[in-house]
Amino acid sequence: MDASNLSIREINSLFTKKELKPSELYSKVFENAANSEAALHAHLTLFEEENIKKAADSDKRFSNGESASLLDGIPIAIKDNINIKNYKTTCSSKMLSNYTSPYDATVIEKLKEQNTLFTGKTNLDEFAMGSSTENSAFGLTKNPWNTDYVPGGSSGGSAASVGARSSIAALGSDTGGSIRQPASFCGLVGFKPTYGTVSRFGLVAFASSLDQIGPITKTVDDSRIIFSSISGEDSRDATSVINNQLDIPSDNSATIGVIKELMEDGISDEAKNEVNKVVEILKSKGYKVKEISIPIIKLSISIYYLIAPAECSANLARFDGVRYGLRVDGNTSYEMMENTRAEGFGAEVKRRILLGTYALSAGYYDEYYGKALQARKEMIDEFAKTFKDVDYLISPTTPTQAFKSGEKTSNPLEMYMSDLCTIPANLAGLPAISIPTGLSKDELPLGVQVMSKPLSDNSLLDFSEIIENEVQFDGQPKGWL
Amino acid sequence: MSNEFNIKNIAKLASINLSEEEQNSLSNDLSIILEHVNALSDLKLDSQQQEIFIHPLEKELELQEDEVVESLTHDEAISNAPESKDGKFVVPPSME
Repeated sequence: MDASNLSIREINSLFTKKELKPSELYSKVFENAANSEAALHAHLTLFEEENIKKAADSDKRFSNGESASLLDGIPIAIKDNINIKNYKTTCSSKMLSNYTSPYDATVIEKLKEQNTLFTGKTNLDEFAMGSSTENSAFGLTKNPWNTDYVPGGSSGGSAASVGARSSIAALGSDTGGSIRQPASFCGLVGFKPTYGTVSRFGLVAFASSLDQIGPITKTVDDSRIIFSSISGEDSRDATSVINNQLDIPSDNSATIGVIKELMEDGISDEAKNEVNKVVEILKSKGYKVKEISIPIIKLSISIYYLIAPAECSANLARFDGVRYGLRVDGNTSYEMMENTRAEGFGAEVKRRILLGTYALSAGYYDEYYGKALQARKEMIDEFAKTFKDVDYLISPTTPTQAFKSGEKTSNPLEMYMSDLCTIPANLAGLPAISIPTGLSKDELPLGVQVMSKPLSDNSLLDFSEIIENEVQFDGQPKGWL
Repeated sequence: MSNEFNIKNIAKLASINLSEEEQNSLSNDLSIILEHVNALSDLKLDSQQQEIFIHPLEKELELQEDEVVESLTHDEAISNAPESKDGKFVVPPSME
């Protein structure tokens, strides 16, 4: 058995029994990366040399029976919009190609406390804006299942890394589906926790009221282990909340809602079939399943593409060539700023900054941004009402399987539509997970998304594990090990 | 909702110098996106009360104690500056 295929708990058990050393696993994942990196380009930087000593320290702890953490010695890849002290954080942007972080993100501090081994920084759509990892200033990432296809995005590098077993798990960030969509496209579990449960301190901000860090893993249990390690209130993130988890039933006393609006036009038959397959399994286990209508979900893309760009235009105002990042000369400060931003940002980032600037500009604020905020509040209320009737909501994660590289790059709106099923959870702050359930006729992975009420993350993970065990999806991309 | 916008004006507000070609392609993209988001104008909301919120879980903003905590040193804070002198950021003149 190849150890890089195992779950975190299985690996920890081998470490504890001294049947495998952390340094051996660490070498193995870098061997895997050496086999796949040229074809996939999952990483922007790989850290092998720097962490060999840390891997040896893990070896010692297990050898002496001193290790206390499930994540000790586990190789984890980090999306390159999360700061690790003394390493570059580029956000896949020319703007930050030379930026070295002087501090650790809170999630990184927490993983360091657990003696996790970082494997490298993964590729993403520039500043996490995109759904295919084609918007990176440093080249595309390919889908490990079939390199003609995109890995999804924006955390496409993180998903490709775990898919090709170049890491055991990875951190991503999810603003409109950027963890769940690539996880689904790469046959993995992707978990976006309740907004506020994981500190955003040290995550380069895109749309602050929507951004959330979470894991991309092979199993639901791996996501649970990472979530429990990285969550918790943090005074350095004003939106952080106390992670007081609600307990809702995950056994067959739970009621499941199938979202009607995400099983209609625009969703492929293959994606619907996966949901139907899971529904049949749940029914056979005695769960009560009913169809639920939340009409405002149809407006998700419209609401999102006003709120996210508005917040992005404000957040990215900091890239002005003064304090960090690229500077392109100009005769005055203002010219320098305009030239720097023209040169430093790619097309999609400019598109969103301009859209957001327009939506927030005098005369348009009320009809665009203001209206979108009202609609968002309405959606939050609709979800709250729905969760009085059902415990979990189920839908496809993505309208289709992964698409081909270049297929949607000329039509931004078509690209945006690929996030139709994932955006509502960000707008409402809900925990949401994508679970791999099967393959399409093209032999590409498909996933099902489950959402639940805010702060019921642990119950959602328990319920998802039941689905995972029943579906028994054991596919993995071939040719990289 | 109106979709009339002046791309040059928006680019000025956003401090991004756009080429002629970029102005055309971005204008075109923005028109398509704005046409789509116009679906919101048909939305009949139960409440016309505009609630501005920053947190989907409706967390109240809390004030922090005013106390000294560890943060970046001056040198660390300035370490990524494109140009600095005597511990300060250097920029071109603000006026010609």
